[in-house]
Amino acid sequence: MPHCQPEQLALAALREPLPADDAAHLGSCAECRAEVAALQRAVDAVAVPEFAEPGPPVAPPASVWAGIAAATGVQATPGGTASDAEPAAPAVTAPAAAGGQVLPLRRSRRTVVLVAAAAITGAVVGAGAVALLQGEDSLEPLTTVALEPLDGEPASGRAEVVVRPDGSRALEVDLDAPPVEDAYYEIWLIEPGVVDMVPLGVLRPGTQTFELPAGLDLAAYPIVDVSVEPLDGDPTHSGVSVARGQIES
Amino acid sequence: MTGVLDRAARLGSVGTVNPDPVPVPHGSAEPDDAEVGRRFAAGDEQALALAYARWAGQLHGMAVRAFGPGPDAEDVTQQTFISAWTGRARYNPEQGPLPAWLVGVCRHKIADTWARRDRQRREAEAAVSEAQATPAGGTTPPVDSVVTDRMLVLDELERLGQPQRGIIELAFFADLTHAQIAERTGIPLGTVKSHIRRTLERLRTRLEVDGAALPA
Repeated sequence: MPHCQPEQLALAALREPLPADDAAHLGSCAECRAEVAALQRAVDAVAVPEFAEPGPPVAPPASVWAGIAAATGVQATPGGTASDAEPAAPAVTAPAAAGGQVLPLRRSRRTVVLVAAAAITGAVVGAGAVALLQGEDSLEPLTTVALEPLDGEPASGRAEVVVRPDGSRALEVDLDAPPVEDAYYEIWLIEPGVVDMVPLGVLRPGTQTFELPAGLDLAAYPIVDVSVEPLDGDPTHSGVSVARGQIES
Repeated sequence: MTGVLDRAARLGSVGTVNPDPVPVPHGSAEPDDAEVGRRFAAGDEQALALAYARWAGQLHGMAVRAFGPGPDAEDVTQQTFISAWTGRARYNPEQGPLPAWLVGVCRHKIADTWARRDRQRREAEAAVSEAQATPAGGTTPPVDSVVTDRMLVLDELERLGQPQRGIIELAFFADLTHAQIAERTGIPLGTVKSHIRRTLERLRTRLEVDGAALPA
């Protein structure tokens, strides 16, 4: 008998039963069998039960949406359609609740570390305690942000935005964290999309004050992030964050 | 609100973001799935929330099936939506329903996680063999070729147009025969068969070109 039709060999690669004469030919023809095997490589690559058409749904915990909202900057909420009529309603999602996720960072050269860290994330950052004492002429904090540990890291603390009498602003940071070897802590202000960020400087455990750039819109960079940076000369964020909080605006 | 849109525009590296909010037709409180798909593609933030409300359970079910309940599965679900949103320019509502596309993204994220674990395993093995410092040793263990093949096949599937993609996905992931696919889609039997053949050839070529060489 002649060789099987190409379409039949493709069906054989998908392990569909063939008509009797095709099956018989396939049994005796090494050429056709080789063709089936070559086509089957792709079939086998994705023939895993995990890829099968979705089975029973499982509701994800609320932290999953919080992380999505923080990473995308989207303020809509999946719960109901109330905000449908008022898409501009501000701060519907408590964005600080999203801080518990270690979020993707652009230009990170250590994505592997970053993602691995994200995978063991369990902590959820609570909203920073907001003082909002409109400073008179003192250094009363404009806002106080609790820095909550990520991934169960032993780092926490608080950050306060203060306004000096001359109008300049500073971030006073109180960090409670162990010393790190061959690395240092760095503090950043990050925008909700976790793409753009402003490095404020090297941080050590204890209390320090960092100058805030004049004109920097804190509402645009509300995430206060403490990272561990290896001594590798790379000025970009390592992707390893140990504590985070969010400035409420 | 403009601040949010500005940020979204910076994030949208793969597509442009409409500077004006997509008009929400008032009165139609519950847009149908197709409408959610169109709004999602257009960058309407509410559509992301609606897509999450409707399909996060399904996607998380897949993730939990792959990794069990916990942080790995949650990360897959989260990354699926983030990636789908930032890559929404790749979604064409004319080419199929949004949930099917999201399921494809989710498979990618699951495969990514497996590939990452494979890489970590190889790095760990390489470290061990380096430490043992056998004269012939010190080479990195080979990539698991199935892991690589899987990524390539998923990537190629994403490049397929319709109805080819829908047909092969029904064969691969719904375990339907070509006759059942014809019945379900209304596409003639002969057309289904020739699409399957051509798609499998295309996948074979991709694997032969970009995949690891198989032992003879």
